[in-house]
Amino acid sequence: MPKTTQCVILLTLLLSVACSPGDPDEVTTSKVYRHAMDGAPASLDPAQAASLYSKFLVVNLYDTLYRYKYLARPYQLQPNLATAMPEISDDGLRLTIEIKKGVHFIDDPVFAGGLGRELKAMDFIYSIKRHFHPSSRAQGAWLWQDRILGLDLWKAEGSDYDQEVSGLRALDNYTIEITLTRPFPQLIHTLTQGFAAVVPREAVEKYGQQLSSHPVGSGPFRLISRNSTRAVLARNTNFRQEPFDLKDEGYDQKTQGEVGLEDLQNKVPPFVDRLEIEFVTEDAARWNAFSAGEIDFIKVPVSQFDNVLSQRNPPILSSQHEDIYQFEAASEAGFIYTNFNMADQRIGYHPDPERNRRNHALRCAMIKAFDWKKRNEIFFYDIGHVFPGVLPPSVPEFDPEADAGYIQRDLESARQLLRVNDWQADNLPVLEYGFPNSVTERQIFEQFRNFMMDMGYPADKIRPLVFATYGDYQRAYSQGKVALINSSWTMDYPDAENNMQLYYGPNAAPGSNSANYNNSEYNRLYEASTALNESTERTQIYRQMNQLLMNDCVSITGIARTLLFLWDKKVIMKPDRSFLGGYFLRFVDLEDSLQTHE
Amino acid sequence: MVVISCALLIWKIVYKPMNKLPYFVRRLLFGTALVLGVTFISFLLMVHFGPDKTYELIGKNPTEQQIAEVRHALGYDRSFLLRYGSYLRELVTLDFGLSDSSGEKVSSMLARSLPISLLLVVPGFVLGNGLGLILGMLAVWYRGRWLDRLVTGASVAGMSVSFLIIIIGLQVLLCTPHGLNLFPVRGWQVDGLASYLFYVTVPTLALVLVTLGYNTRYYRAIIADESEREHIHALKAYGATPYELMLKHVLKNSLVPILTRLMFSVPLVLISGSLLLESYFGIPGIGQVTFDAITSGDQPVLKAVIGLTGVLFALALTVNDFLYKVVDPRVARS
Repeated sequence: MPKTTQCVILLTLLLSVACSPGDPDEVTTSKVYRHAMDGAPASLDPAQAASLYSKFLVVNLYDTLYRYKYLARPYQLQPNLATAMPEISDDGLRLTIEIKKGVHFIDDPVFAGGLGRELKAMDFIYSIKRHFHPSSRAQGAWLWQDRILGLDLWKAEGSDYDQEVSGLRALDNYTIEITLTRPFPQLIHTLTQGFAAVVPREAVEKYGQQLSSHPVGSGPFRLISRNSTRAVLARNTNFRQEPFDLKDEGYDQKTQGEVGLEDLQNKVPPFVDRLEIEFVTEDAARWNAFSAGEIDFIKVPVSQFDNVLSQRNPPILSSQHEDIYQFEAASEAGFIYTNFNMADQRIGYHPDPERNRRNHALRCAMIKAFDWKKRNEIFFYDIGHVFPGVLPPSVPEFDPEADAGYIQRDLESARQLLRVNDWQADNLPVLEYGFPNSVTERQIFEQFRNFMMDMGYPADKIRPLVFATYGDYQRAYSQGKVALINSSWTMDYPDAENNMQLYYGPNAAPGSNSANYNNSEYNRLYEASTALNESTERTQIYRQMNQLLMNDCVSITGIARTLLFLWDKKVIMKPDRSFLGGYFLRFVDLEDSLQTHE
Repeated sequence: MVVISCALLIWKIVYKPMNKLPYFVRRLLFGTALVLGVTFISFLLMVHFGPDKTYELIGKNPTEQQIAEVRHALGYDRSFLLRYGSYLRELVTLDFGLSDSSGEKVSSMLARSLPISLLLVVPGFVLGNGLGLILGMLAVWYRGRWLDRLVTGASVAGMSVSFLIIIIGLQVLLCTPHGLNLFPVRGWQVDGLASYLFYVTVPTLALVLVTLGYNTRYYRAIIADESEREHIHALKAYGATPYELMLKHVLKNSLVPILTRLMFSVPLVLISGSLLLESYFGIPGIGQVTFDAITSGDQPVLKAVIGLTGVLFALALTVNDFLYKVVDPRVARS
């Protein structure tokens, strides 16, 4: 056989293997929305939907009992799979939730005849139990452990799915009863999470760990294909018919009138036929693809802020972009901080009261030496929100009157604190500052060290401790090996309790209290607040706790980043990234001219 | 002294009798030893210094029991030798289990991404080496003259420019409205030759540009060395044409180092793909899969990639030895 022929045959074979298979159910005329994310989801199994990226997809592939209203800010809960908000007993311990009838999972070979069966109350119960089963590698147990009656016992007794949990019962096919061990006002928020999405038991039993790449849900979309660079989702044609109601979704004409949402009234979501979600970690590639019109939405990389904005505060889009793009600047629901490891006697609690007092003074001096203005200017384009403590502007409990001195640099006071408390260059402790390996993290460290050097801290006494991955870093600080823990917190739900628990004593490492802070007064206030719904009383408690944290100088905090979103004007939407941002995708629509013919 | 004695003993016991074995048996034994060595050392490094996935897979506020459950699920609580034994079994059966990150079958991930990487990298590999060889020959033929200086200077310049700059520059120049906007910035929706060319052109250009300098310099050095030999001068004196000299004599006699370079590149091209190309052009190839596995500590994927690379290197060595015999009769005789 001639060599040319051999080459042609080889090329043809390779092409046939490497070509994307055609989507089996591809529609001939479809509305396609192309979204870019700056990371990729590891797993699409709701039990493992811990990352922002996994949640983003999971809430579109599966159903949750509740969700957040598309447009209402501050966030408001809305029934999703549930027919209404739960009926709650007078003592707040028993919740009864009715779910919608006639909701079906997508068609899949796992069901009899390949047709998706009806979703029942037992499916929800099974899905929550999975978080307490050792074989499911679930990551959401922390939401419900020690809170739902009998669930921890069920796990201790061997996690037998056929055994009933006293606090998690299906009263009939469409009614769920949840009994709590103590009042837990955030429970409904937890039922909006990707972790609480409903999976059919037969799919888990058939696909096992591979469910993470073979989702079988009842959400507005179903997965067509997925690889390391993109996921393609198609409209679930059997998704329940619920016309869109602007008022119900919290529409505000004044602030949201410019994006064309009025046209959606009474249409039935999802509005697009196909979602193409690109995972682009490199800023330059993401920006180039957006500029070339290959994607419709982008979270603008910081490197492009100068190009995109004509003004920083408040951010205003430059004239060259405002004709083609819609724009939004959103404050991130979360914050960035540097915790002191209070379990480390060099800087935290010390059995000797005198040294304990001096350590406190040292921490306070370091906080005073930290320059939030420069941090914001250099790393956040000067558009981040700097605030004192752990109550960021995105939560209703944010206190505009909080002690602003906590976030203002005062080098003279810092030096004086060191002097008065007998800290000199030669007796200051050596401290490790941890971070996962990256250029930006290294720059952030160098800036931190410079701030401290300005106060008189010797450079060689603040040492970098670099880790290959965030997981390795997390392991190190969870094991108390890092003195200064630089990290960020993204809120799971729009309730400040999610932030306050970060410093609750019993949540110490390996829990989320990486500072290992343990103040009995703080703990008492936290426990008192957990039974309270959002109220003036609870706000006062949270602010008191916030003040305690600042008095004890536990953390250098904080800043909430401002994110800039750009999207094509022909796309009708109000994008979101906070909490469970992915919920908005079912409401995305395109102007008719943007329909793609394939 | 003890070490030397041991070495001599091994020499007597293993190497000398091995020399009496047929060639292919020797190659097989050597290849197996190589694969065992590569896999053992890499597995040792992976287990003791690689990323620990436990803390990425546990939820917030975990108990010690939950941490232990995750470690057990990942197999971290098994002894090193047991884990290495399982690894060898996986390598033999080509069943590497499921990815720790995505839960997908590792063999499916490789089967999906390998052909894509191959299609992505092969044109650039062939063109980069082919052009490098031609330019190297031209530079040698016009040695010391302006063409030689131009080729050498351009090679050095090409080697100095970062791959990243080349990629971003080409993207802006060829793929965005700021430039010619002829090709896509990213993606791999290949369903035929036309779409293949549409998606592969810019990555190929980037690959050629980044490798051409290195290839040209390498091939020029080899060919310059060969063309200095006495029989080449003699042939020149007898009036051999440039075509005859270069292709029939210089190139043919330079084939051993050229083949070595090409053969040793093959495993890397096949398995490693090109992370930067795949990442910046949004191509779901093996480079991206490998990079994700390294950064996330996905051991089943890493084990598969490292093991297969080792096997391919052993194969490349064997094929290389065979080709030496074909192109150089002196090797065959020895």
